[in-house]
Amino acid sequence: MKKHVTPLLDELEKGPWPSFVTEIKKAAKTSEMANDELGQVEYSFKTKKGYWKHGGIVGVLGYGAGVIGRYSDLPDMFPGVTFFHTVRLNQPSGWYYTTKALREIMTIWDKYGSGLTNMHGSTGDLVLLGTNTESLEPMFAEYSSRGWDLGGSGSALRTPSCCLGPSRCEWSNYDTMEACYNVTQEFQDELHRPAFNYKFKIKFAGCACDCVAASARADCSVIGTWKGPILIDQAAVKEHEKQGMNITAEIINMCPTQCMSYDGKELKIDNAECNRCMHCIAKMHKALKPSGERGATILLGSKAPIVVGSLLSWVVVPFIKMEAPFTEFKDLIRKIWEWWDENSKPRERIGELIEVKGMRPLLEAIGQPPVPQQVKEPRKDPFFFFKPEDFEKVFTKDKY
Amino acid sequence: MALPKRQTDIGPPHFKQFLPPVIQKNYGKWKGHDILTPGLMVHVAQSGDKIWTVRVASPRILATETIYEMCDLADKYCGGYIRFTSRNNVEFLVSDEKNVAPLQNDLKAKGYTMGGIGPRISNVVHTQGWVHCHGAATDASGLVKAMMDEFYDYFTTKELPNKVRLAVACCVNMCGAVHCSDIALVAVHTKVPPVDDERVGKICEIPTVIASCPTSAIRPNPAKKSITINEEKCMYCGNCFTVCPAIDIKSPEGDGVAIVVGGKVGSLRSNPKFSRLAAPFFYNDPPRWPKIVKAVKTILETYAKDARKHERVGEWIDRIGWESFFKKTGLEFTFQHIDDFTFMRDTMRTASTFKW
Amino acid sequence: MEKDELKEKIFAFMQKYKGKKKLKERDIMKGVSEEAGVTPDEVKKAMREMIDVGRLMYSYGGGASSVEIPSEEYLKEKGLL
Repeated sequence: MKKHVTPLLDELEKGPWPSFVTEIKKAAKTSEMANDELGQVEYSFKTKKGYWKHGGIVGVLGYGAGVIGRYSDLPDMFPGVTFFHTVRLNQPSGWYYTTKALREIMTIWDKYGSGLTNMHGSTGDLVLLGTNTESLEPMFAEYSSRGWDLGGSGSALRTPSCCLGPSRCEWSNYDTMEACYNVTQEFQDELHRPAFNYKFKIKFAGCACDCVAASARADCSVIGTWKGPILIDQAAVKEHEKQGMNITAEIINMCPTQCMSYDGKELKIDNAECNRCMHCIAKMHKALKPSGERGATILLGSKAPIVVGSLLSWVVVPFIKMEAPFTEFKDLIRKIWEWWDENSKPRERIGELIEVKGMRPLLEAIGQPPVPQQVKEPRKDPFFFFKPEDFEKVFTKDKY
Repeated sequence: MALPKRQTDIGPPHFKQFLPPVIQKNYGKWKGHDILTPGLMVHVAQSGDKIWTVRVASPRILATETIYEMCDLADKYCGGYIRFTSRNNVEFLVSDEKNVAPLQNDLKAKGYTMGGIGPRISNVVHTQGWVHCHGAATDASGLVKAMMDEFYDYFTTKELPNKVRLAVACCVNMCGAVHCSDIALVAVHTKVPPVDDERVGKICEIPTVIASCPTSAIRPNPAKKSITINEEKCMYCGNCFTVCPAIDIKSPEGDGVAIVVGGKVGSLRSNPKFSRLAAPFFYNDPPRWPKIVKAVKTILETYAKDARKHERVGEWIDRIGWESFFKKTGLEFTFQHIDDFTFMRDTMRTASTFKW
Repeated sequence: MEKDELKEKIFAFMQKYKGKKKLKERDIMKGVSEEAGVTPDEVKKAMREMIDVGRLMYSYGGGASSVEIPSEEYLKEKGLL
């Protein structure tokens, strides 16, 4: 194996933070691919340019997703990475593993790939970084026979992901782990065989803390919430105070709706004014907890800047029950896809389509009424569409 | 050896088999938690059962060799259970308190970094960069390493007013929550891409290329069966390159990195926010990009000094105002900071109530 | 219409566009169902069967997924040639 001289990357083995260069070098001890990967990255650092091509290969027989074709632009210099495809394995909910399962995944990867991974990729998959085309089918046979399937890529449903929810968190308003698993199983066809105009991501967050960045990174953001009052344990409030919390400054004054008060003896919350932002609950986690009906808010549209600017998801369904088998949610998703499919252009995300067509057609397509919870504020200019049925159903002469 | 029989559409394995017994038993019945140190927290169930979590940094790119070693540690101290977080940390889940200190000692001896829990910097969400991406305008792992070597103490020990979420995207496609992070780096192109007419005609669909441009800068060039780019309209987003590899926008001289600040995803106190431009451009300067690291450090330390407890970076800036942000950080305000893309009308000031 | 006949129609449709336009599943479902007078769902089912045996394949390029007639290289790699 050719030994690459890597003075620039060597510099990144210094310093206390764990080094990706050390990881590549570890894999390079036994893998020709990882070795030439190291060489090519050093060359990129030297010339300040990337040298990868993509496209073509997208999966195993029958699938159109799960493998991302990657090829070196410099195969003569770095033959080991002539082919360097990414394989996405669908991660288990919450990224929990047994060591037995994890070892098994890695042993297969050592046999067929570079020995390099991402734990995990941006969408959530367990990413296997760098293999050649011939390895795809045998590798898939080994993984799938042991219970592991490929994740999404291309114009498909992308691998759904979730926060760890009720498995280790006291705040989750629905079972994010089960929802993620169940919905992923339901839509296997949409995940593996790209039939959409573009990608579609679903992320499940158990509360407004949003540890999976659902509000910013998912076409469909499912964010847990509740309807009842916040329960207060006054003794535990005192305990927080005793431990040094300035309740007035840190809690009362930072409440966005100013619905709390504290007189040094008793903490009060005007629950009707609370917008469930989670600040007080997260900071006084021993004293406060949500109660009553649980479910989620469904928001649509978030995405990165391409093409005309980044979007955060918009509230579409203020409250939905999220209980197994999640029938109401699945029906909603199917309706959203149907409308998106019928109306979108190639490479148009759902958020972009809503912006072009307006929120009304989407809401009508999914059977949701207009409610003030969907908007930050009503429109400012007096230009608006009327449909004939609006005069029959809303603006009737007896009322207006 | 014959291959086992492949299966399709089986989906991921059910998570329950990967949960430690104490989690299975107390699933959905957790009462609360305490952060004991920056790298250790304990969750307490209604039943009184406890689980300790030791959080460890990872460079996201992991060799199988390292994962085997982590598995050995999890076997020894965690009954064979391990998990990863949404920000690429590793979590060792300890069910027996007496295993916590030995695990921590062993991790320390093997050179692992514990921390990231609570009001500090957690691991950096980032993209592939030169390591594996076709469109990268910088390297993501390199920038992360350079920054985190500098901010190491903010992961392991030091406190900040609140969490600070860092992210790095190696191009404007932003395969990470860069657009909603406290402080983030995003690589940008700054030059109009050259068009390889011959290849465009051969490998690209002209209408798709034209439709890909957000500023309508691309016109057909029928004579060459290619396209032309209007240099005055092009904002170098690279979307045309995504749909047509013959318009290679990557440029060693023109590519660099911008800093955006003030975004968040959670709804605590204030709604999720987009990050806004703090510094439009630094030249790519591998392996350690010192000028960028220095600028980020200035922003971080100004925030640490100036923000109130629990304020995120964006909430701090909202309170003091952007004019104060530029004054306090000393970052230069340029034409690039004034939006002339799609949302200009939402970002201009409409009152004289600003600070000097 | 017999499924085998429908598959031939799908293949002919694909050949017509080969090298001219990247076709998505939806384009094929719409185009062939109009030509052959069957439902888009029937086209989808037949097309999926063709993809499963490598008569057609999924591809990715230009930032989007498409369905194509497989290259010789693909068929060799899948052990189908």
